[in-house]
Amino acid sequence: MNRLITLILLVGAWIIFQSSEKEATVLDKDQSLYEALYQLGYKSVDHSPDLSIAGASAQVGEDLVKFGFSDIEGQLKSKRQSKHFVCTSCHNIEREDPDVSVSDPEARLEYVVKKGLPFLQATTLYGAVNRTDFYNDDYIKKYGDLIQSAKHDIRAAIELCAVECAQGRELHDWEVESILAYLWELQFTLGDLNLDENEAMIIQKALNGDKMEMQAIQILESKYLKHSPAHFVDPRPRDKHSEAPNTGDVQNGKLVYDVSCKHCHLNNRYSYLNLDDSSLTFKWLSNKAETYSRYSIFQIIRYGTHAKHGKKSYMPRYPIEKMSDQQLEDLKAYLDLMAE
Amino acid sequence: MVIKINMKYAFIIYLLLLGFFELCAQESKPVHQTFGDRRIINTQSVEMLPVRKLDFRVGHRFGDLAGSGGGWSTFYGLENASDVMIGFEYGVTENLMVGINRTKGAGPLRQLINSFAKFRLMTQGATKTQPVSLVVLGLTTVSTQPKSETEGVLHFFESPIHRWSYHLSVLTARKFNERISVQANASWTYRNIVPAGDSNNLPAVGLAGRAQFSKSLALIVDTTFPISAFRTSENQFYPAIGLGIEFNTSGGHVFQMNFTNTRGISETDYIPYSQSNIADGEFRLGFTISRLFSL
Repeated sequence: MNRLITLILLVGAWIIFQSSEKEATVLDKDQSLYEALYQLGYKSVDHSPDLSIAGASAQVGEDLVKFGFSDIEGQLKSKRQSKHFVCTSCHNIEREDPDVSVSDPEARLEYVVKKGLPFLQATTLYGAVNRTDFYNDDYIKKYGDLIQSAKHDIRAAIELCAVECAQGRELHDWEVESILAYLWELQFTLGDLNLDENEAMIIQKALNGDKMEMQAIQILESKYLKHSPAHFVDPRPRDKHSEAPNTGDVQNGKLVYDVSCKHCHLNNRYSYLNLDDSSLTFKWLSNKAETYSRYSIFQIIRYGTHAKHGKKSYMPRYPIEKMSDQQLEDLKAYLDLMAE
Repeated sequence: MVIKINMKYAFIIYLLLLGFFELCAQESKPVHQTFGDRRIINTQSVEMLPVRKLDFRVGHRFGDLAGSGGGWSTFYGLENASDVMIGFEYGVTENLMVGINRTKGAGPLRQLINSFAKFRLMTQGATKTQPVSLVVLGLTTVSTQPKSETEGVLHFFESPIHRWSYHLSVLTARKFNERISVQANASWTYRNIVPAGDSNNLPAVGLAGRAQFSKSLALIVDTTFPISAFRTSENQFYPAIGLGIEFNTSGGHVFQMNFTNTRGISETDYIPYSQSNIADGEFRLGFTISRLFSL
C-alpha cells in the first residue's frame, strides 16, 4: 500500500513539475514591452506620462491624435490643434512593419496593404514610446536646430510635430501628457517582437527570476528599432528622352498609388490637388512625371513642398526608408499604364 | 435679330432633363467635382465649399467687346467695368455654405450687397437612388445706392423695402463621366420694385455644362432663360449666355476667363436685366479669381 501511495505521489509530483515547466516557457505575448523590461530590471524611461497634471488622460490623447481636438464630456476641452492636419494624416497608429527591428519599405507596403492601412511618410505612432531618438538622421536638414531639444525628448518631439509638422498651435502641458498617455497605450507588446522559441524561453525564464535578465534585455532590445531611420535622397537621375521600357512592377505601383497618393489626395482630403482613378488624372501625372516641377511624382515624393505664409498646408517628403526608389519606379509604371 | 423663346418649351425641356437624369446609370460612390468651382459663369453650381474653408472671390465683367460701346475706343471693353464682385464664402458644414459679396450692379439698382446660403440636399452617387446632385440656393440683395430725388426711377426708393430683392433656385446636376457634367436650374426671383410693365415675380430656367479637356483645363457654358412675357428681344431683353475657360492650378486657385452677354454678376441683377445682344457685339470678357483659406 505504501508503495502504491509513494508511486502516486511521485507521478503527481512529476505531473506538477512538467506542467509548471511548460507554463514557464509560454510567454504572455500581450505583455507590454516596458512592463517586461522593468520586470527584468531595465531602468525606467523618462517619457512615461505624468497623469497628475490636471486634465491629462489617454482618452483625451486619443481624440487629439485622431481628430485634432477633444470635447469629451467631463474632461477638459481641447481646441482644434491644426487647421491643416491631424496626427493620423501622416502617422499610422497601428503596427506597420512585419519585422519591427528593420525599416524596409517593400515589406511595409505589403504589410499595410494586408492590414488595410495607408503607406505614409512618417513613422507609425505604434511603438513610438519604445523609441529613444526622434527626428533622426536627415531631419536636421529640414528642421535644423529645432530638433536639438526634440532629439531625445519625446515631449519636445510631440510639440515640434504639432507646431512644425502639423503647422498648428502649441500644445498645453496637459495635452502633451494626454498624447503621451495614449502613445503609452500603443507601445510594443512581446508579441510584436517576432521572438523565436528559444528567445521566448530565455525571456520567460528571466521573467521568472532565473538570472538571465541581461541576456533577456539584450534579446528584447535587438528586436525593435530604438530610432526610425530617415534619409532624404534626391530623385534618381532620369533621361526623359530614354525609350527604355519602364521596369516597374505595375501591381506594386497600384498599391503605392492607392494607399499612399490617394490617402491624402483623393477627394481633396488634405490637398487642393485631387487624385482619383480617372484617365485625366493618370495622363496628367504620367506627363508631368519627367518634368522638373512639383507636379512630378519623383520631385514631389523626394522633396515634398514647404509651408509658407498664407499656405501652410504642405506635403511632407518621403525618406528613402519610407518609399524606395523601386517603389517610385513601380508607381511610374502604373501611372504610365493607366494613362495609355 | 429677334429671339423669341417659348417658355413652355423651355420648361418642358427642363422637366425632360430632370427625368433623363433620373433614368441614368446609378453609382454607389459619391461623385466628386461635378464642376470645378462653386460658380459656372453666371450661375451657381452644385459644388460646395469644404467645411471651414473660406473663399475670397473677385469677379469682373469688362465692357462690351464690340458694338457701339466696344472696339478700339474702349480697348475692346477692357477699359470699362460693367460689374465687379468682391466677397467671401464660407463652408459651414459639408452641406451648407454661406456667402456675402458686394457687386457694383449693372441693372437699374446699384451698389448691391448680396448674401446667400446654399444647401445641398443630395449628392450624386451617395446612395444608389441618387443619380444627381441637388442643391438649393437662397439669396437676398439690398441696394445701398443713394436715394434718387427723381420720382419714377427705380432707385427713388419710396420705401426702404424697395431696395430689396430675393432669389431662390434649385440646381440639379449630373456628372456623366470624368469629362462631361450637365446642370439644370429652376429659379424664382422676386424684386420689391420693378419697371412699369414688368412683374415682381420672375421664374427662370437654366442649363449649364462643363467639358473637361485635361486635368487643369475645362470649357464651361451656362444659359439662363427668364420666363416672362415682358422679356422679349423686342423689349431688348435676352437670355443670359456665358462661355468660358476654367484653369485649375491645383494649388487652391481656380482662374476663370469667360465671355458673356450679361453685365451684372448677382442673380437678382443679371436674370432680370440681361439686355445685351450678342449679335450686336454686346458681350464682354470676364474673369473670376478664387482663393481658398483654411480657418
